[in-house]
Amino acid sequence: MIRRLRRTLRVARWEAARASGGIDRRTLLVGFVLLAAAGGVVGAGVATGTAGLDVDRDVYRVGVDAESPYADAVEADPALTPVARERATLGETVDLVVRGQALEGEDADGAAAGRVVVDATDTPKGDAAAAAFREAVEAHNGRLMAAEPNETAAFPVTVTLRYASRTGDTAGGRPAASRDPNDAETGDGGSGDEGTDAGGDDASEGGGADAGSGDDGDANSTDDSDGFAVPSLGGETFGAGSTGSPAAITPPFPFASLVLAFAFLVPMNFLAQAYGSSVLDERTNRRGEPLLVTPLSPAEIVAGKTLPYVAAAVVVTSLIALVVGGGLASVVAVTPLAVAFLAATFVGAVFARSFKELTFVTVAVSVLLTSFAFVPAIFTNVTPVALISPLTLVVFDLQGESVSLGETLFATGPTAIAAVLLFGLGLGVYREEDLFTQKPVTRKTLDALAVRLSAVGEGVRESPPAGLAARLPKRARGLAAVAVLTACTIPFVFVAELLAVAVLFALPVTISIPILLVAIALVEEVAKSLHLYAGFERGVFARTDRVAVAVGLASGLGFFLAEKATAAAQAVGLTELYVGRAAFGAAAGAGGLSPLVLAGLVLAPLALHGTTATISAVGARRSRTAYAATLAAATLVHAAYNLGVVRLYG
Amino acid sequence: MGSRLTVARRELAGLRAEKTILLAVGIQLFIAAFSSFLVVGLVSMYDPGALDGAEVEVAAAGDAVADLERAAAEVPGASIRRYEDPPAARTAFDRGAADAVVIATHDDRGGIAVAATVPDATVETTVVVVQLRSLLRSYERTERAERAGALTERPLPLPERTGSSPYFAFTYTVLIPVLVFLPVFISGSLVVDSITEEVDQGTLELLRVAPVTIGEIVDGKALAAVAIAPGQALVWLLLLEYNGTPVANVATILLLMTALTTLVVGVAAGIAALTPDRRAAQFLYSIAVLVLFGGATAMAGGPTNAVARLAIDSADPATNATVVVYVGLAAAAYLGVRRFIAANGIDR
Repeated sequence: MIRRLRRTLRVARWEAARASGGIDRRTLLVGFVLLAAAGGVVGAGVATGTAGLDVDRDVYRVGVDAESPYADAVEADPALTPVARERATLGETVDLVVRGQALEGEDADGAAAGRVVVDATDTPKGDAAAAAFREAVEAHNGRLMAAEPNETAAFPVTVTLRYASRTGDTAGGRPAASRDPNDAETGDGGSGDEGTDAGGDDASEGGGADAGSGDDGDANSTDDSDGFAVPSLGGETFGAGSTGSPAAITPPFPFASLVLAFAFLVPMNFLAQAYGSSVLDERTNRRGEPLLVTPLSPAEIVAGKTLPYVAAAVVVTSLIALVVGGGLASVVAVTPLAVAFLAATFVGAVFARSFKELTFVTVAVSVLLTSFAFVPAIFTNVTPVALISPLTLVVFDLQGESVSLGETLFATGPTAIAAVLLFGLGLGVYREEDLFTQKPVTRKTLDALAVRLSAVGEGVRESPPAGLAARLPKRARGLAAVAVLTACTIPFVFVAELLAVAVLFALPVTISIPILLVAIALVEEVAKSLHLYAGFERGVFARTDRVAVAVGLASGLGFFLAEKATAAAQAVGLTELYVGRAAFGAAAGAGGLSPLVLAGLVLAPLALHGTTATISAVGARRSRTAYAATLAAATLVHAAYNLGVVRLYG
Repeated sequence: MGSRLTVARRELAGLRAEKTILLAVGIQLFIAAFSSFLVVGLVSMYDPGALDGAEVEVAAAGDAVADLERAAAEVPGASIRRYEDPPAARTAFDRGAADAVVIATHDDRGGIAVAATVPDATVETTVVVVQLRSLLRSYERTERAERAGALTERPLPLPERTGSSPYFAFTYTVLIPVLVFLPVFISGSLVVDSITEEVDQGTLELLRVAPVTIGEIVDGKALAAVAIAPGQALVWLLLLEYNGTPVANVATILLLMTALTTLVVGVAAGIAALTPDRRAAQFLYSIAVLVLFGGATAMAGGPTNAVARLAIDSADPATNATVVVYVGLAAAAYLGVRRFIAANGIDR
């Protein structure tokens, strides 16, 4: 064991020396100079007001008189371009014309009775321009009022926003207000207001009415129209609970923490790129061959090559955590994510034929993993499901809250397992006959899967069993390998299904639900049968219907067991999170059923998975086209079953 | 010219054999779908007014509640129910009969203090808070109008509310620029790979023996990389058009993106020629692109903004002038890099 570790470390040292030789000081210096120059230019631009990150600058053209009071409002909004009235033709040179005020009854009760008439083109653009104009006027009014000497007349309404749970402590969601650092300041010892005595038992104390809020002015300035309705980065929008004028209220959206959390992801892309290059470097011109003939095992070589990059990721993450104010929890959360980046890149680099192909693979990996990590984190304060992404832990950490051990495991465990499985997949083809050959990615994938299988049926070549597999009887060995391999796909199946849900979210429900049912069925069917196809193609399985049925059933069983195991683990994880809301509800619903029905409910998925996997397996043993056809058939059967389940419960 | 085309054809054949271009399109599709999801998801969470049907029931009490009721009448999506006293309103909230509690009282300075209570940490919280804000802002406006006498300057009357989707602005200002510029980065990266790979595998020596100059080799590689970019962007723009998002000035947008591709490809070729180690070259290329586009986006009239304005049909002569400037810049940059490589060769 010690010897293996020492060998791995030796490879790691060698890799580290090589990597630092590749990106030499000159390169780093040039990169640094480039960044500094850009920073300087942008900084100077921002300072002088010629630059800004307004992506929607000048997208709407507004015809307005230069003397009109609205000219200032239009001028101040970056999204609006003022055009002089005499040059304004609606629909051609402008999208909106401000036609001046209809001032009926202004004398009677002031400005509120005055109205402004706006003509917009009858297109979505015209509507959008009108909405942007309204926002610009609101922002302009905010600025006008902030300059008023009489504060009470300018901001007559002072709002204190508090978060409270409905039924006291039992619902137990995360108390939004109590974790907010700002709220702790404003909660100046319960000013005996109506609100506090009404909810004596609520979880979120600390929002006493702070009537004397002198910061109305700057609170208002955060309300500038933001281009696309994603909340703007207001100074104090970390979480919840706020006091000020109504415009200063913000929904609980951890925008600042999210932006900072994103900073952890950026270096991962560079690391993954360097790592992928290093692995592919071994493969070009058979450079890695000397390493393979040493007594080092492939696992030791790969571990050694990976170690320096993991270490670099940890160091960089720690540095970022120091800068943005994260703690140990951030580092613990980001490390599995870094390993997942490296693992996916490793598989890509082992499969890719050329650097060009690797570039595409790296881009794909970066995009997929970044969205997987980032998107759930957006919903950090909204739903516990956000915890499937490790980045959510970072957001929590940056908000200054403690995270329980269970939550940490729940967030980092699946990512870590997926990373290990990916390394396992790549290691399968980290051998002489695969490493230095040029094959399409699809065929490499089949190879990598077939390596993990063992023989089923008569007349196929067998490799001597090793380790745990040697203890199993010969017949069971092959089937057990099939079931285990299917079970290993579960984390990826979940991620793929999640992404399918996310991508189809934008479509109307009538279209998205059927597509979703089919997409989920397809993902699961592919997961259950792809390695079976690989087994038949690579001659690990005998091409008979008997073998096909056997491996199909084994695959279905493996999938069923793994799915149930993760469901149980999730229930445990989620009970802790929801405090019994969702999970107990489901259990209570099942309580009234007879044992026979209950057994049927449990075993129905088993029958389904076995049947559909067998259908695909029968096709997979024949040919690629037959496999495609039976896979489609299995998907339809599965989708029909899913539809039935949805109907039954819905 | 013929030898350049031969090199370009060889590059494209390599891409076709690896079918990586399919992967590239797949990535773009994913990004497009995902950002749509993000925006629609965020919009529905943070601006429920954009999606119809969100109605928030507010339990109100306090001595200033009458004005609040009047203000609520003009806000769609929020309705007020009056309760006797604050505890009664709170009880309604606890029973689930109301989504939020608002206690409005006159304070001693002549203003109004509003204590709002919303449910904590659920998906509906954001919806409730957003509707509540719109209600309270309307309330603020009416109260402000009543105190207009004490103001030195009156707030401007607001125009009518219009039904508009925030998704509209996003499509033009973020989605279209991203889709248009993604192929640009991929093309540059391809050139870096292509040149460093030739050096690494020693095939550049073979090419040198062939009757082509080093400049022609670079031309051929650049030609292939630039040629594949506008097609990808065009497919996206047509897809958006088909989906009911009209895109104006397609030809100008494609011209701009081709110019930028040439510029980026030129930069990429220069970097690859100077540092033929792939890792160093890709690292420098990534940073250079980050710097170029980060800097350019932050500037007024940057390429992202220019594409957005062209696509949404708000381009003015200045925008078209910008495009011409980029075309000139790209030509100059590429020719400069090519001359440099032709003179100095590719570093080993």
